[in-house]
Amino acid sequence: MSEQIVTVTSSLPAAAFLVPLVGGALVFLGRALQRAFWQGTALLASGITFLIGLRMSGQVLGGAVLTTWGNELRVDALSALMVVVIGGGGFLATLYSVRYVTQPGLLTRAGAETTARRMPTFYGLVLWFLATMVWGCVTNNIVMLYVAVEATTLTSGLLVAFYWDRRALEAGYKYLMLLTIGITFALLGCVLLYASAAATGQIDGGKALLISEVRHVAHLIPAGTALLIVAFLVIGFGTKAGIAPFHPWLPDAHAEAPTPVSVLLSGVMIKMAMYALARTVSIFYPSWPQLTVFAVALGTFTMVLGIVMALTQDDLKRLLAYSSVSQMGYVLVGLGLGTYLGCYGGLFHLLNHAIYKALLFMCVGAVIYATGIRKVSELGGLARSMPVTSACFFVGALAIAGFPPLNGFMSKLTVYLALAKAGLWWACAIAIGASVLTMVVLVRAAYSVFWGSPHGAALAQLQVREVPVVMWVPMVFLAAACVVLGIFPQAPFPLLDKAAAVLATMGR
Amino acid sequence: MNPQALNAQLIETLSMVMVITSVAAVEIRRLRLAAVAYSAQALLIVGLLLSFAAVNPSLYWWAGTAFLTKAVLTPWFLFRFIGKTQERELPPLIGFAPSVMVAAVLMIGFYRLTHSQIALLAPTEMAQQEVFRTNLAVASTVFALGLYCVLTRRDAIKTVIGLCLLENGVHLSLVSLAPELPETALFGVATEVVVTVFLLLYVIAGVRQEFGTTDTLALKELQW
Repeated sequence: MSEQIVTVTSSLPAAAFLVPLVGGALVFLGRALQRAFWQGTALLASGITFLIGLRMSGQVLGGAVLTTWGNELRVDALSALMVVVIGGGGFLATLYSVRYVTQPGLLTRAGAETTARRMPTFYGLVLWFLATMVWGCVTNNIVMLYVAVEATTLTSGLLVAFYWDRRALEAGYKYLMLLTIGITFALLGCVLLYASAAATGQIDGGKALLISEVRHVAHLIPAGTALLIVAFLVIGFGTKAGIAPFHPWLPDAHAEAPTPVSVLLSGVMIKMAMYALARTVSIFYPSWPQLTVFAVALGTFTMVLGIVMALTQDDLKRLLAYSSVSQMGYVLVGLGLGTYLGCYGGLFHLLNHAIYKALLFMCVGAVIYATGIRKVSELGGLARSMPVTSACFFVGALAIAGFPPLNGFMSKLTVYLALAKAGLWWACAIAIGASVLTMVVLVRAAYSVFWGSPHGAALAQLQVREVPVVMWVPMVFLAAACVVLGIFPQAPFPLLDKAAAVLATMGR
Repeated sequence: MNPQALNAQLIETLSMVMVITSVAAVEIRRLRLAAVAYSAQALLIVGLLLSFAAVNPSLYWWAGTAFLTKAVLTPWFLFRFIGKTQERELPPLIGFAPSVMVAAVLMIGFYRLTHSQIALLAPTEMAQQEVFRTNLAVASTVFALGLYCVLTRRDAIKTVIGLCLLENGVHLSLVSLAPELPETALFGVATEVVVTVFLLLYVIAGVRQEFGTTDTLALKELQW
């Protein structure tokens, strides 16, 4: 079952996070320059990161594992997949933001002059945010994983509060406070893991920091300590990933951040946190299979709570944020099973959710760009004046609801099958139920916003036009990806297969 | 590593005083004095790290970083922020007497826990011996006090002080849990707390400007 792994020393893993880091520094240094410079640098840096991710994926598919700095950074199929998602999401969000941030009142409340003054901070932080996320996905060092995840909170903290009005500031405060406390638990977990691994006596101190080495001695860690480690890691990284009951920061932050940041938070960051959780907790599965049931239970709880809360939302962005919580439950259930089919389903769902959640947030941002309104009850009948946005939103809504032949159906089906195969029929039923609820919530929102007639007086007086090309190009691309991945789900199979094999410690 | 080289009495004294200053930082209503209590606590932590450094030389480096981040930068940010306008915090959710009782219960609870269930919490053999067990108990108490402060204090600045206490507790526990942690990891961990405190205070300054108060109960814009 174990393939021959060829470890190749490469500078690509380091380049993957150094490029956006340097890009961000350049944007900060060039704050006296023009918008074209800041946006151009951001596009270039995120684009290069995406290409590096693709290149690493190519090499990993050939059977290699890339390492840098003597196994400090280690990129296998799972990490390569994550870098592709982060780079791709970053590039598309930046492209989308090029026109979005120039609309008055969307980036800051104040006038054009303040917006222009603060814009380099925005792009610099976005690039550093991408850099910290990539770093978290390529590092092999347990404590550095904690440092990277905390760094993503720090770089995105000001981005969440960027709008600097009452709601954004409240969201920013809660975001920084709750996530920092949560991640401190992850620090305890990471440190305990390192210490226990070192204490087994099988590997020496320096090596015990490396996740790839700790995997081999996980079964020697005493049961009580292992349980404590898993609990701390679940609380820590689970908070960051939006797992219930640690999710309260998520709806506030994702809704109040400027839309390009919401795209990055919901579409990329929570996936990266789930990666950290999967990477560290999955090493315990072979020794303690009961953990998988616990993970599935937590995941189903998250699924249900998220979508039930989404049912009651009038604010479009909060609705989408709660649905993110719910979808992360699916990913947790899949990855939590630990079987190959479960991990494949979880990772495929991670990829799909990144695509259609980014798409949905971009569409909502387009509606805000065109109308300034974000409540469902005040919108309606936009399909005529915004045909592209409305078509994209419908594709996204159907995809997240799990309609065939779109991509969401394929990944959800895989998760259901994995649950059934593991004998967890109750979880399977709950997952299908949550999916039905998702369909109700999202399709109802789509219908209410784009079809029918305008509900609010304010809307009737507006001259509503479709958004600029540079905003709908990423939307159309993502919608197309939903369709293509739905019709050809075997397309990402090579990379997903290898990535799932990394996590699938419980057999097939 | 020779645990006998440690001055156990010094460590226990420093630990006890540190817990007292932590309770003071949580309880004192006048924010400037609370920040002073926090600074004292930070200095005591540095002192504790130095006392443990006898068995683990990399702790000297750790104590230096801790001094810079916890005892210099963080209090500087706090004092700059509290400024002249903020005098007393608003009444918290739980008063003084119950708080002191909670602190006592926590301390006793953790002490008993680390002396009976130590194998569960501390994987290395050295960590299961005396002074390290007390260290873990004290670190857990400070952690719990910090969490308690964040949960029960209405004033946003007090919650930041609570967060600092929480982090201090965790970092202190690293002495027992991971004595061989390399310097780069410790540096990364320490720097992040300082940046977090800075960012939180920056956002709270915005909150003060927009809401007119730092009362966290006033942050009601985002409900369900």
